[in-house]
Order: sequence, then structure tokens, then C-alpha cells
Amino acid sequence: MTQPSTSTLSSAAAGPAELMIEARGVEKWYPNGFHALRGCDLEVRKGEVVVIMGPSGSGKSTFIRTFNALEDFQQGSITVDGITLSNDLRRIDAIRREVGMVFQQFNLFPHLTVLDNLTLAPVLVRRRPKAEVERQARALLERVGISEQADKYPGQLSGGQQQRVAIARSLCMEPRIMLFDEPTSALDPEMVREVLQVMRGLAADGMTMVVVTHEVGFAREVAHRVVLMAGGEVVEEASPDTFFTSPSQPRTRQFLNQIL
Amino acid sequence: MKPLLRRLRHDLFATPADGLITLVLLGMIGAGGWAFLHWAFRQARWAVIQANSTLFAVGRYPIEQQWRLWLLTTLLAAATGLIWGLLRSHPRPDRGGQLWPRNDRLAVAVLLALSLVVPGALGFAPALVGRWLAIGLLLVLMRWLAGRFGPALPPALKRWLPVGLPILYLLGMVLIGGGFGLVAVSSSEWGGLVLTLLEATFAILLCFPLGVLLALGRRSDLPLLRWGSVLYIEFIRGAPLITLLFLGQNMIGFLLPGGLAPERVWRAAWVLTLFAAAYLAEAVRSGLSAVPRGQLEAARSLGMSTIQAFITVVMPQALRVALPSMVGQFISLLQDTTLLSLIGLMELLGTARTVMANPAFLGRNAEVYFTLAVLFWCCCAALGLGSRALERRLDPASLARSG
Repeated sequence: MTQPSTSTLSSAAAGPAELMIEARGVEKWYPNGFHALRGCDLEVRKGEVVVIMGPSGSGKSTFIRTFNALEDFQQGSITVDGITLSNDLRRIDAIRREVGMVFQQFNLFPHLTVLDNLTLAPVLVRRRPKAEVERQARALLERVGISEQADKYPGQLSGGQQQRVAIARSLCMEPRIMLFDEPTSALDPEMVREVLQVMRGLAADGMTMVVVTHEVGFAREVAHRVVLMAGGEVVEEASPDTFFTSPSQPRTRQFLNQIL
Repeated sequence: MKPLLRRLRHDLFATPADGLITLVLLGMIGAGGWAFLHWAFRQARWAVIQANSTLFAVGRYPIEQQWRLWLLTTLLAAATGLIWGLLRSHPRPDRGGQLWPRNDRLAVAVLLALSLVVPGALGFAPALVGRWLAIGLLLVLMRWLAGRFGPALPPALKRWLPVGLPILYLLGMVLIGGGFGLVAVSSSEWGGLVLTLLEATFAILLCFPLGVLLALGRRSDLPLLRWGSVLYIEFIRGAPLITLLFLGQNMIGFLLPGGLAPERVWRAAWVLTLFAAAYLAEAVRSGLSAVPRGQLEAARSLGMSTIQAFITVVMPQALRVALPSMVGQFISLLQDTTLLSLIGLMELLGTARTVMANPAFLGRNAEVYFTLAVLFWCCCAALGLGSRALERRLDPASLARSG
């Protein structure tokens, strides 16, 4: 009998959106003994954009890299798209197929053309016909605004163009979640805008995104929630308005004073 | 004329010290060149090469079966021309490839001149001169045909053409050794340049996959595999090849029951292979460590398995970095085959030693060694040229420069 009221409370649409990432009490020690993550929790629902901020060395990158098992962890649990992360390699591959990742250093494959960068994984991993993937890849390159560069090599593109190719490469796998690990930190200032523009478009289309970034403007405008990490802990989690204007934690105020 | 003079002055006589160095070097080069020409045309007696050219080429291979080697040479020339032409006719998408770049025209001219002049200068019978010229012409013809009609070939056919190379190699083995209806020629009758090239190509082809596996083993997470690879690589690299060759000749006989032990030629080929693999593994390892970690992470984050990521992303980049040092290994492997003469095989150096031991050619060592040096230089230069062409082809940076 209380069901209708809960659904109207949690969301304007039909019921709470599906849980895409659920991290509970994640603890990680590096082999050298460094305690990188100290009991981190995070929930990301379908269609949500969560921005993670924090000083360097706070564990932000390590945290989102645990979501697609590029980093392991020792305690706690992480469930991604309904699959619980474990040491089972087949499960890890299954998760990675559904989770796209964009790196600070782009990590495009320099020996392949832009088009081949996009088509390699879908053909190899999803076993889709090459011609069909190629059509989709060209459409994606069009969408990120570099369709005329399809036959060039990554080394021939600017940093901003490379990062847009990297986003398109992830999208070509048709992921359900996209992780961004400081996607604009290695870019010249004039190229940051074009990459953020592509990410705004993705968010507007309803992609579930977790973004580690220092771009305050992007966080204010696009994020549903902003998370502050410091010293390997999740310090604060709030809506962008609350986060930037009236944060509850002194650590957050201190961090904001440094970057604003 | 004026610009040339000015350039000479600028390059060679810019300062008094430069001028002095230029004059001294010119003097040394001139004196050395004069002494060599004087030796080559006045003192040397090239009859030893003329009389033994067949011996140098094929050793004691039975005369009535030598048509098989001619056939093999013809096939190789045709295949070379075909590959050369196809490579030129299929330029990379963003490079306006020329069908006949200047270097190719030069190479064809040199090739035809060599196949016309060298056999004649060595005093071969007209029939032999004709054969060499025909083989040279065939190579150029195939180059022309492949360049002209290559683009029109169906892509499916072109994709399967590389399969022809291992088939050609196995066919070559059959032609040399017999079988499949051909009279068997025992490996103890193989010799000369044929044996040298056979040993070298066998070792080069087989040490490559072995070296890659060793390099991967050395980076493996499995301790047993890692330590096994390290142990093997370090042991082989710590032992001189000649001791390993003697060890191979003696030990394989003990390890395998009499009939199963391979013949000496093959024992030596396997030792060369196992030896070269250890060095190749180190070259590949340096290539692997040059590939940034992010490449593997990116490939894995796209859902590729480790094996898929290694084959499609990591290895192509690692091998490109390792290519120059790998070719260096292949070149020294080719030269190392001369050590086989010390365990009694009649490859080029072994053949040369029997020739020099013949009383009829007493004291003609310089001519023989000089010929050997030129032959080896030709083979190594071909390897080097091929590798540089491959490097340019594999390097996206050079595409960027020319595109």
C-alpha cells in the first residue's frame, strides 16, 4: 500500500532507477603498504552523472579504476551492472565490455588508424561484422566532430582530437557506463572545451557517467552529484549546488578554497 | 658548376683545419683505393674463383640434380619480384605511393647490370650467363606485372598470398633434399652458399616465435615460467656459440637413440636456432618494455582478453621498436654460420677451406676470403635494406611526415 508513495518520492519517473554501480566499504592497500582506499562507498544509478573531485593523491583515480578491475582491492564489495566483482576473469571481461573508460593520457593505439582504433574491440570482442561496426564508427566520429580524420593515425591529431577519438572508441563498444579518469588534465586549455562539449552531449543523452575531474564548470552544470575524496576516503557527497555553495565538511571548504 | 664548387668549399674546406683533414683523408682513401685496385687487377689470380664457382654456390651437390637448385632460384626470384611489386602497388591509405620511386628504378638497373656483368666477369659459360640474366629479367618482369596488375587482383586472393611463403619454403626444402618423387640428396652433400642460406633462414624463421615466447615468459606472472625463461636466456647468452655447437654435436647423440638423432646439418641448425632465440628474446623484451602500460589497460578496458590485447595492441608496437635490433641479430646469425665450418660442415667457409687446401690454388687465400666477404656483405646488405624498408612502412610517424 505504501508502494505508490515511495515511487513518487524517489523519482519523477517510474520508480528508482536501476543501480549501475554499488561500492561498499572498499579498502585497498598497495603492495608497498600504502593504504590507498579507506572504506569507500558509492552508488551510481542509471543515467546519473557523478563527478569525483579531490586533491591529487586522494585516491580518486584508484577508486574509479576498481570499477572495471584495472585495480584490485582487498576488502569490501563492488557490484557493476548487476555483476559482483571477483577474481573470476570471465566476469571481469564481461564487466569491461559494459564499462567504457577514458584515460588522462588518451591511450589510443598509435599503430592503428583512427577508424581501426574504434572498430578493433567491437569486431574482436563482440564478434560483430566489420562493415556494420565501421558504419557505426564513422557515425560516432561524426558525433564527436572528427569524421574527416578517420584514416589518419593518432599521432597526426591534436590532444583534444585524440581524446575525442578515445571517447568514440569507448562508445563503439556500446557501454552502459562510462568512466572518465581526468579526461582533460593532459590537454592544452584551448582543447579542454571541445572535449567537455562531447561529454555534455553524452550526459544529455542519458549515459551513466563517473567523472574524475577538476573542471568546476562541468561539475556545476552537468553533475547530478559531486563527491569529494581526500586521503583515500569519501569525505562529502552532495548535489552540485550544495557542494559548491554550502558544503557540510571543513575538508570540502578547504579544497574549494584552494581551487576556486 | 659554381654552386657545386661553393658547396665543396663549404663542406670540405671551411676552415684550414677542415681543409687539412680533408686532404689527409683524401690521401689515405686514394692510397688505399690504389693499393686495392693494384692488387685486384695486377696481383690477384681470380682463376681460383672461376674454377670453383659451382663449389662455392652449391658445394658437392650432385651435378645431375642441380636443376632443382636452378628451379628454386627461379622461384625465389619470381616471388621476390611479386612481393616487391605488390608492396609498391598497395600504398598506405594516406601516402600517395609511387609505383616506381627513384630507388626502385636504381635497384632494377643495378640488378640487371649485376646479372649481366658478374657471371660474365667470372668467365662463366655463355649458357650460364644467359640463365643468370634470365633470372634477373624474370624478377624485374614479375615486379612490373605485380605493380601493374596488383591493384586489380581480388582482395581475397591477396589476403591469402602470404600463405604462399611458408609453402615456398617447404617446397625449397623438398627441392634441395628430395622426396615426393625426387631423388634424395643426403644433407652431407649440401654445401656452399646454399647450405649457409639454408642454415641461416631456418634459424631466423624458427628463432623468431621462440624468442617472442621466451620474452613473454620472462615477463610472465608464473614464477616457474619466468625463472625458466631467465635461466635459459642467461645460460645461452653466457656460453660462446662454438661451445654450444660442439655440445650439440656430441650431446644430442647421447640423448637420443641412434636412429632418431638428426643429421649433423640439422643438429647445427637447431643449435643456431636455440642460440639466436635467447638473444632475440632480449630484443623483444626491450620492445615490450617500450610499450606504455596504458596501452594494455586501454585494450583490457575495452573488454579484450590478455591474449587478444597482446596480439593486436602490444606485440605490433613492441616488434616495431625491436625490429632494428632483431635484424641486427639476424645479420650476426647469418655471419655466425661460418662457425659451422669448425664442426665439419661444408658451408661457405668450409668449402673455401677445402679450396684453399687444394695444391693447385696454393697461396690464393686473399682472393677466396675477399670473395667470401663480398658474398656475406651482399646477403647482409639485403637484410638491412629490407628491414629499413619494413621499418619505414610500419612507422606511423613517417607516414605523418610524408602525409
